[in-house]
Amino acid sequence: MQMPLILAVIFGVTFILAWVVPGNPLERPEGQRPPVEVQQAMLRQYRLDSPWRFLGGYLEGVVWRGDFGPSLQDANQRVNDIIARGLPVSAALGVGALGFALLLGLLAGVVGALRPGSIWDGMSLGVALVGVSLPTFVTGAVLLAVGAGILKWFPIGPWEWPGWAVWERSWWQDCGQMMRHMVLPAVTLGAAPAAYIARLIRLGLAEVMGSDYIRTAVAKGLSPRQVLWRHALKVAFLPVLSFLAPAAAAAMTGSFVVEQVFGIPGLGERFVRAVQNKDQFLILGLVLVYSTMLIVFNLIVDVAYAWVDPRIEVD
Amino acid sequence: MRTIYIGVGLLVLALAGCDGRDPSAEQGKRQLRFVSSARHHTLDPQKMSWLHDIRVAECLFDPLVRMTADGQKVEPATAERWEISADGKTYTFYLRGDAYWSNGQAVTAGDYVFAWRRAMLADFASDYARLFFVIAGAEDFFGWRSGQLGEFAGAAGKLGPEQAAEKAKELYGQAVAQFARTVGVRAVNDKTLEVKLTKPTPYFLELVAFAPFAPLAAADLEDRMTFSPDSGMAQMPANWTEPGTLVSNGPYRLKGWRPDRDLEMAPNDRYYARTEMANDGIVEYFMVDNEQNALLRYQEGEVDWLPDLPTAKPIVADLVARNRPDGHLITAAGTYFYNFNCRPTFNDGRKNPLSDRRVRRALSLGIDRQTIVDKVTRLGSRQPIARSFIPPGMLAGYEPPVEEGAGFEPERARQLLAEAGYAGGAGLDGLAISYNTGAGHEVVAQQIAATWKKELGVAVKLEGMESKVFGDKVKKQDYAIARGSWFGDYRDPTTFLDKFAQGNGNNDAAYRNPEYDALLKQAEGEMDVAKRLEVLRGAEAIMLADQPIGPIYHYVRFELFDPAKVKGLTPNTWNHNRLEKVAVER
Repeated sequence: MQMPLILAVIFGVTFILAWVVPGNPLERPEGQRPPVEVQQAMLRQYRLDSPWRFLGGYLEGVVWRGDFGPSLQDANQRVNDIIARGLPVSAALGVGALGFALLLGLLAGVVGALRPGSIWDGMSLGVALVGVSLPTFVTGAVLLAVGAGILKWFPIGPWEWPGWAVWERSWWQDCGQMMRHMVLPAVTLGAAPAAYIARLIRLGLAEVMGSDYIRTAVAKGLSPRQVLWRHALKVAFLPVLSFLAPAAAAAMTGSFVVEQVFGIPGLGERFVRAVQNKDQFLILGLVLVYSTMLIVFNLIVDVAYAWVDPRIEVD
Repeated sequence: MRTIYIGVGLLVLALAGCDGRDPSAEQGKRQLRFVSSARHHTLDPQKMSWLHDIRVAECLFDPLVRMTADGQKVEPATAERWEISADGKTYTFYLRGDAYWSNGQAVTAGDYVFAWRRAMLADFASDYARLFFVIAGAEDFFGWRSGQLGEFAGAAGKLGPEQAAEKAKELYGQAVAQFARTVGVRAVNDKTLEVKLTKPTPYFLELVAFAPFAPLAAADLEDRMTFSPDSGMAQMPANWTEPGTLVSNGPYRLKGWRPDRDLEMAPNDRYYARTEMANDGIVEYFMVDNEQNALLRYQEGEVDWLPDLPTAKPIVADLVARNRPDGHLITAAGTYFYNFNCRPTFNDGRKNPLSDRRVRRALSLGIDRQTIVDKVTRLGSRQPIARSFIPPGMLAGYEPPVEEGAGFEPERARQLLAEAGYAGGAGLDGLAISYNTGAGHEVVAQQIAATWKKELGVAVKLEGMESKVFGDKVKKQDYAIARGSWFGDYRDPTTFLDKFAQGNGNNDAAYRNPEYDALLKQAEGEMDVAKRLEVLRGAEAIMLADQPIGPIYHYVRFELFDPAKVKGLTPNTWNHNRLEKVAVER
């Protein structure tokens, strides 16, 4: 219900920020400058001569035609096309990264909680610490140099996508190729959330395992596996679930660093450059897409909460 | 695409697999593969000004004449011959009979008129519109059309969108008629183009070889143009530069273009010199600011050529230091310098001490250029330090008056400051060096500020800012000292010197010297080549004596390719490429 309102507020704030930040989007620090008349004509053409004219035209385009306008930095390119090309790539990478994060995080967290103080626990804590502390540009560069440069297990780039094949290949072969490209960046992008998830699970599970209802379950004669998977983990997973919504939105909308290191044509790099270039159309378009995703994921998590924890009712 | 993006993620994800374009070439044939350091801004030859855009345009479009691969001479292209009138002001080009567009239509003189007119229409915001102003009537026409559009913008509010578009179309028709009446470009017949210039222009043929002078398939495009009801401006048909729709007359046709990833060109079978082409197409990958990754791919043999390695970054200094046989360091036609604001007062009304040429010269004499190339760019003797604006040794018959420039002479600098009334730097506090952050300019600025403090007693502030803010400030001359760079476009001193003419839109230092302007004017009318260059040399000497800029170093470019495998690439100062003549062996 609140979705349109939240979107409107985000849009309003972004719109104001994009206008008041100093600098002329059509100005470059070097090279030939087009004649003054050309610059004025361009401002008129893009309606950048007045915020009201811009806002009117922009809203009309977005609401009536679903058109986010042109990109200011790349002539002849539409924001819609840029998003349509970049979002699937970023989203696929984000799904891969989250999958990796969940797998590793759950494993490390469970091991740590069940055998506190053991060597496994120490290792899982160590992994978590490294994952949280190492910045992605280090993890990414190291993984690329080792995995692609030295071991040659993975391709260096550029990114593949089904239907993009250089040689004649089937769609499935394309997907395989894409997966090979995705492993290193997904691991890089998933390392930090994996560490976070591991810590959440370890803490939650340690607490839950000591609670009365688990003792009851054990006393009833349930096997340790049943206790863990059907009862304990379900509750310990709740904090992870609420972490997943923002994490999913963040991972799926692209990471500047990871895209930069691996040469992935996603949206993260686009967004940073759009802000640098004051590309108003692209900034607004991407912010709208991001916030929509964030809201939708939060909604999904709210619903999932009720499913995992029957105590919560969705109105 | 007209999708409404509400909760789009998954929907688009589901659709993405349907993108079934056929991208690259068949296996086993020789293609030239290289990495560009940026995505393309545009493939519209009249709108482009970036080197990597121009490199592709030169493959897709065939101008009237072309530069040879070594960048030294002009040779016939679509024009098989041309005549120049005795007064040097009228050029008549005769087009070859076998010149065709990739869609099979013949290339006509009208295609050049159409394309050149676009560059002279404010509608298309051509970065290089100014280059066309050597053509008689071009500058006036440009202003005329700008005025017409300005009036339209004033009146359009009263019209409905359809009426406004109709009106815009009518105005465009008037502009075309005005162009035919007043501008010196005329298709005498289908195969003859006559161009009248305002003045004899010795470098005109070289301009004609430049991408913005490329033709467009008028028959394909003109009727499909649209008109903006907001601004009245003519617009090209949507997506006209896409694979499958772009009609080209050069050695290649556009086979695939994924703007975030790569661009592929296949030989254009309609090209008149198709049989002489040495490769089977070109694949260009975009690695935005990602030279590490590009280098890995080059070393793995996945690409043949890295033409755009950024010499400002440490990775290049390291590569250069290794003296690799596949490394090619070339002097570029460009200079890195500091602008000194020459206006008598700053924008906030304070008096500007830099308006005194002695102060400017003193500061310039206080720049330790050798240390900058040794310690900052780390290219040492391979990076020429600059005493002139025009780099030496790159224009036949023209050597810049370096003796008028400034070297590192702190003693002389202190003297000049004292003469100007700022002994020991007193009274110069509060000056700032402005630069855009993130491109290595801060290190140079720190080095210079430290030297000024130590040698001259001048304490300057460092003001790093985001590049669009910086660009805007420099244009408004809202700075004291600002870093700058300039690259020449054609082999003539005016490509550099015009920048300092009064009223030039790129005169960021706000330099004004009537003597300088008079010499530029005098050179315009001078028919004798040697004399003309001498006059221009005099102009540069005056400018250097005034030091509106402190030149620091001349640029170099660095390319990686193995000459045993990639044959026919001849890296040159002016960055002219003839990629269709490059053979690749693997």
